[in-house]
Amino acid sequence: MSIVRRIAANDIVQMRRSRVALVSLLILLALSIVAALTSIAHRDASDELRARFQAQADVEFEGQPARHPHRMVHYGHFVFRPLPPLAAFDPGVDSFTGNTIFLEGHRQNSANFGDVRQSSLLARFGQLTPAFVLQVLAPLVLVFIGFGAIAREREQGTLRVLAAHGVSARAMLGGKAAALGVVAAIMLAPAALAMAWLVAAGGAPILPALALLAAYAAYLALWVLAVVTVSSLFSNARSSLVALLGLWTLTTILLPRIAPDIALAANPLPTRLETDIAIQRDVRATGDSHNPDDPYYADFRAGVLEQYGVDDVADLPVNYSGLQAMVSEELTSSMFDRYAERQFAQQRQQGNTALAFGLLSPAIAMRDLSMAAAGTDLEGHRRFLTQAEAYRFGIVQQLNQLQAEALTYADDRSRNTDPEAAQRVRIDPSHWHDVPEFSYRSATTAEKLTAAAPGLLLVLAWLLAMVAAFRIAARRLGRAL
Amino acid sequence: MAIWLHELKLFLRQRMALPLLLLTLAVASSAVVAGVAEVSRQHDVIERIQPQQAEDEAAVAAFVTVSGDPGSAAYYTFHATWDEPSPLAFAALGQRDVAPYVLRVRALSLESQIHEGENYNAETALPGRFDWAFVLIYLAPLFLIALLHDLRSGEREAGRMAMIQSMVRSERSLWLRRVAWRVGLTYLALSTPFAIGAAIMAAPASEVLAMLGLAALYVLFWAVLALLVARLKFGSVTNAASLAATWLVLTLVLPGLALLAINAAIPVRQGVELTLAQRELVHAGWDRPKEETMQDFFQVHPEWRDTPPVGLGFHYKWYYAFQHMGDVGVAEQTTAYRAGLEARDGWTRRIGYLLPAVGVQVGLHRLAETDLAAQMAYQDRIRAFHDRLRTFYYPYVFNDVTFTMDDFARAPRWGQTTTGDPS
Repeated sequence: MSIVRRIAANDIVQMRRSRVALVSLLILLALSIVAALTSIAHRDASDELRARFQAQADVEFEGQPARHPHRMVHYGHFVFRPLPPLAAFDPGVDSFTGNTIFLEGHRQNSANFGDVRQSSLLARFGQLTPAFVLQVLAPLVLVFIGFGAIAREREQGTLRVLAAHGVSARAMLGGKAAALGVVAAIMLAPAALAMAWLVAAGGAPILPALALLAAYAAYLALWVLAVVTVSSLFSNARSSLVALLGLWTLTTILLPRIAPDIALAANPLPTRLETDIAIQRDVRATGDSHNPDDPYYADFRAGVLEQYGVDDVADLPVNYSGLQAMVSEELTSSMFDRYAERQFAQQRQQGNTALAFGLLSPAIAMRDLSMAAAGTDLEGHRRFLTQAEAYRFGIVQQLNQLQAEALTYADDRSRNTDPEAAQRVRIDPSHWHDVPEFSYRSATTAEKLTAAAPGLLLVLAWLLAMVAAFRIAARRLGRAL
Repeated sequence: MAIWLHELKLFLRQRMALPLLLLTLAVASSAVVAGVAEVSRQHDVIERIQPQQAEDEAAVAAFVTVSGDPGSAAYYTFHATWDEPSPLAFAALGQRDVAPYVLRVRALSLESQIHEGENYNAETALPGRFDWAFVLIYLAPLFLIALLHDLRSGEREAGRMAMIQSMVRSERSLWLRRVAWRVGLTYLALSTPFAIGAAIMAAPASEVLAMLGLAALYVLFWAVLALLVARLKFGSVTNAASLAATWLVLTLVLPGLALLAINAAIPVRQGVELTLAQRELVHAGWDRPKEETMQDFFQVHPEWRDTPPVGLGFHYKWYYAFQHMGDVGVAEQTTAYRAGLEARDGWTRRIGYLLPAVGVQVGLHRLAETDLAAQMAYQDRIRAFHDRLRTFYYPYVFNDVTFTMDDFARAPRWGQTTTGDPS
């Protein structure tokens, strides 16, 4: 093995003398450091801002004066999605998805104020994050440094000299790959440091962080092997460079844009407007609260009357209006869930279609697994939406129940004509304290790793394929010498 | 002429020339096809929502007209708005995938409605769309680099340089012919699919020419850059590597750094702040004495001052008054938010003067009306439409006029202009 090490050491000495290699590596390192520092600062600032807004919304909710509970249903609540610690490494879709939702009765609002809608088109050039540097820029720098690995030796005739000294083709390729691997390891270093910092000081979970690091190492390794393999196929350095640039462009720039377009065209999502209309239509079809003779609500009333053994809603021991509000909220909320599930399923299908292109492009697989392990993938946002909807339903029903139990039916009916009843329906604000605060449950380590698994498998498959290609190239080179 | 054709033949005989040109043509064509398909899908969506919206309005009308309560009509009726893609949107899809181009509003306070988002797949939006602008900005320079990096160094390395120099009358015009074919054919491969797409979408000629002009400038920029690097007399390999590195810095690294700088320098948290503040204002309305709210409202809308006073209980005129006062109360923050977004856009344009990729990106998307400015223009039209909605319902609500089926038909429609109204 020492011959491999000697070749690698010799190569590294040459790289240190080569200005192109040195400059491009230094630029990449500088970018990595800038990306890591700004990403960490941005994640901390965003998370803190969201926490502050959340605290403000909580204080405001609890500080509301005595009110009719239904007023509080419409006053509603704001919830904010916290940013996971690893978002400092890969913010994923965070800037595309809104991070706050206004929750109120009978309606499901969208998550708003995503950064991309608030940014100019610059945001579509890609954000400079540690993940972006490693996924997109690092392979290109490996290409710049390594394209001549074998091709140049061949061009200059040194390949035959080496062979004449009894160096095997496999040792030659191995040495070249080892040298380029050292470069890749240097590229990975700032990311590894950032990751260590996030785990030590930022509370990032250790297993997903290690998985991320290992995956990026595999990703860079497969590029190292690809660069050396391609370099061995060409008789001159120029052709090798052009081929590698083409390969990089195809897999890292072109396919990642084409894949989602195909996924979207194959399975277009309905607009929010259409979904709103469809939900309203389905709600009306099941039970129309505006129709006094609606069978759904008539059945419900009959059931309540029978349960309490009275003939008229006015004789119930509870406020019927509150009960009706509850059953109506249950109906609309079940529709929200049904349509959300449908939309999520469709989005997952789109995601799977796009990920299938990971078979053609390791960058696609890498991006997918990186977001999933960092907890910043779309699934994380869906988790937030689902939890926010469950929370919305919970607090609305809690307030509706207050309306049913803390108010009398007679007061509730006459609150617009009788000033005393209007006072009595405004219940004590201490009730608002009883409403729980929203606490977001982020993905567990197991959930993150499961979500990252398909991408991880693809990257490993790529690595194996590159190892195989590398061995074939070595045999081929051996025969040619 | 013959000498030009001779150069063309020489060029096309090169191993990389024809495949690269065909690749450029294929990629540009598929981008145009994808863009046209996406734009017609957006047109279809706008078409498709009309009957659904009409059905929804009819269902609201059916139960509201039982009582004829105008307040309920305004409360329950959502009005559709939409933003048709421009004829050139196919070439630069821009922000239309992350911002809604169809949105419903009602006569309630607007600030709680206008920031609503669309149900889009953020993961597929993340890498950006595959459109003609992308092909031009990212891929065209790489194709040009592939064709131009060895123009002179290739001849030198093949040992033909001395022969060429001795044979041709003017070396300068020889290189000019060679560069002209390479750049011209690349430009042709890029612009022909675009021109066909523009013809299909019936885009106005002046804007098509402007886009073609921008594309020509951008292609020329990269061609000149390649020639300048060639003057340094490096080998082909160093030429290719340094040009590709320049491409990387100009199209990926510097725009990324610029975005970091702009977003850090101009925070736009006013968006969240104003929605939080607006909710407080609106809901405080329930607890304030009704007369106070009405007096505030009459300051803005004195024409309703002499209508019958609000009684003891709930009345919609008071409800719509405090809804509107909620918007009025955050007007300053709305302006600040908007100013923040415009400042971000403005700085991007300024950076566009320095970075060609950003400049062309800004220019193409302005022409295609798919940028942040277009998104804000749509919001302005929604604001104007919302004003029309409010003022349509006010006479019914403030004068207690029964709302009939005919009145539903009279409600303002999006796209239908009344005098002095931009929507």
